[in-house]
Amino acid sequence: MAAPAALDRRVLLTRTLTLTAAILAAGLGFVVFLQFGASDGFDAFDVLRALLIFASTFWLAWGAFTALAGLTTRPPAVPRDAGPLQGMTAILVPVYNEDPVATFARIAAMDASLRATGQRDRFHFAILSDTRNEEVAASERIWFLRLLADTHGEGRIFYRRRTNNKGRKAGNIEDFIKRSGAAYTFAIILDADSLMEGDTMVEMVRRMQAAPDLGLLQTLPTVIRARSRFGRIMQFAGAFYSPIFARGLAMMQGRTGPFWGHNAIVRVQAFAQSCGLPELAGRPPFGGHILSHDYVEAALLARAGWTVRVDDDLSGSYEEAPENIIDHAKRDRRWCQGNLQHSRLLMAPGLKAWSRFVFLQGILAYIAPVFWLAFLAASIAAPLFSPPIDYFPIEYWPFPVIPVSQVSKALLLAVGVGGLLFLPKLLILLDAALRGRTRGFGGAIRTLQSTLTELLFSSITAPVFLMFQTRSVLQVLRGADGGWPAQTRGDGTLSFRDAWAASHWIVTTGGIVLAFAQWLSPQLVPWLLPVALPMVLAPVLISWSSRPSRTTLFTTPAERQAPPVMALHDRVLTRWGADLDQRDAA
Amino acid sequence: MMEVAKPEQFDLDHLAEELGKLPNAPLAMPVQDLEYRPQRGGLWAALRLTRVRKAGH
Repeated sequence: MAAPAALDRRVLLTRTLTLTAAILAAGLGFVVFLQFGASDGFDAFDVLRALLIFASTFWLAWGAFTALAGLTTRPPAVPRDAGPLQGMTAILVPVYNEDPVATFARIAAMDASLRATGQRDRFHFAILSDTRNEEVAASERIWFLRLLADTHGEGRIFYRRRTNNKGRKAGNIEDFIKRSGAAYTFAIILDADSLMEGDTMVEMVRRMQAAPDLGLLQTLPTVIRARSRFGRIMQFAGAFYSPIFARGLAMMQGRTGPFWGHNAIVRVQAFAQSCGLPELAGRPPFGGHILSHDYVEAALLARAGWTVRVDDDLSGSYEEAPENIIDHAKRDRRWCQGNLQHSRLLMAPGLKAWSRFVFLQGILAYIAPVFWLAFLAASIAAPLFSPPIDYFPIEYWPFPVIPVSQVSKALLLAVGVGGLLFLPKLLILLDAALRGRTRGFGGAIRTLQSTLTELLFSSITAPVFLMFQTRSVLQVLRGADGGWPAQTRGDGTLSFRDAWAASHWIVTTGGIVLAFAQWLSPQLVPWLLPVALPMVLAPVLISWSSRPSRTTLFTTPAERQAPPVMALHDRVLTRWGADLDQRDAA
Repeated sequence: MMEVAKPEQFDLDHLAEELGKLPNAPLAMPVQDLEYRPQRGGLWAALRLTRVRKAGH
């Protein structure tokens, strides 16, 4: 096990190297673009575009070098306590207008999985309902009784519904801690769609017991149960790339790790002492309740001296994800508002420097696409402001001076940006092939095909996401509050009509971009096609990708062999589904 | 029909509420300070001086 000081040095070294490399890559992009832009005369537009390239490239490079950090480091050994479990652990399941059958069946499955560990008595489940829909709430009560009967869970499984939703999910957890927190040493915080192996939960408690300064331990949830084309591609990307990115992140964050809001365990006393969230002064979207509370809670724990850690080696932690681009964009809209709200907290008193940097990263994640769009707009408009080429710059010299073509510089920039986007994923593929990790994804050849297709799909859909993210940022800046919609789960197939209704403005924008480019800078049109064409085809892409996937590509280990807790969940669903059918027939 | 269903529904709700009751073990969760308040030193203090009414003689 690495000593804390040695670990801190490694973390500092990884941070310094990653930051330096990202700044150097962004600086290179800046200089190359300035040379390219200055070829036909130098003006303010060139500086503006070069600055936008700097900011955008920095963000891409940061992601790429995080992956490199993940590829070149191994998880440090962490302490674990092999003795008996101490105290009680509450497993919190906040629900908000979710389908009670699917959610409570997950609890039944996790309960059975815990029973198999022999440690079930050390765990309680608490279903924390914030459901506003009375019909869903009535259904929750009925299915809660069914859950109790099925698991003999009386006194171990609790259900309470709040009469108001103060503080949303963070307020829901806070309400539990204020009522019942003193009864528990640890709390595992889940989402309604979370699923976790009993062994994993026991292991999390053991790791918390072994490190008294550990305030929060985050697992890396694997996406499961995706059925659509979009869902399965995202599921593959999550299962194949995310462990490496998370490894890099863990190396960089050290003791100031992340909290992603679910599939994590907290030390209840630490959480209660440090994480009472205030309501920010002013109105939403920047004031009011803190939306992305998880990042803030991680920062507050670190401020109070607690360690926050992500252990990427912990398996058996699962979640579900949106099945189509529109649901993904809706979720992203909430995250966008939450992350931009963190701009209010950048200067919050006493936070660790790294926590402030994490807030800044979260903001950049949503601002960077706006930089790319601003860069494209500035590039299209640039010819309007550039002076005409002077072929006779030298007085009395009879021969024209033809400006040297700088296309090579533009190509260099394009290759560089492409490299930052694609190289980390290709290196992850190489690493997986060398370590035999591709076996779980259908073998080396199948994984290669899946990776290349995923790269193609993510490149084609990137402009569509860029537009949704830009709109989200503009909405938040305009003061529009996105509210708190329940996540749509289950079958997410979208008709072309639905897709058109949600994305016709992207088609119009793509058409306008191409028309302006053709009018002002026709030489730009071929460069713009990879961006503008997917925009024009947005409804087709959205509808097509929401349909059920039948390909053998994008196989993941959980698809090849259902994890035990997932099989248990299936069994409960089948049993409860049969009961429902019988009741309907009667 | 409704008259029969209503008490049943009530019983179920009541039962769910009774059986679902969380342990009563309160724990304080103090609200944390997150708002940034710039220090009003130097120039602000100097400006405040100008607003102080003169005592006169």
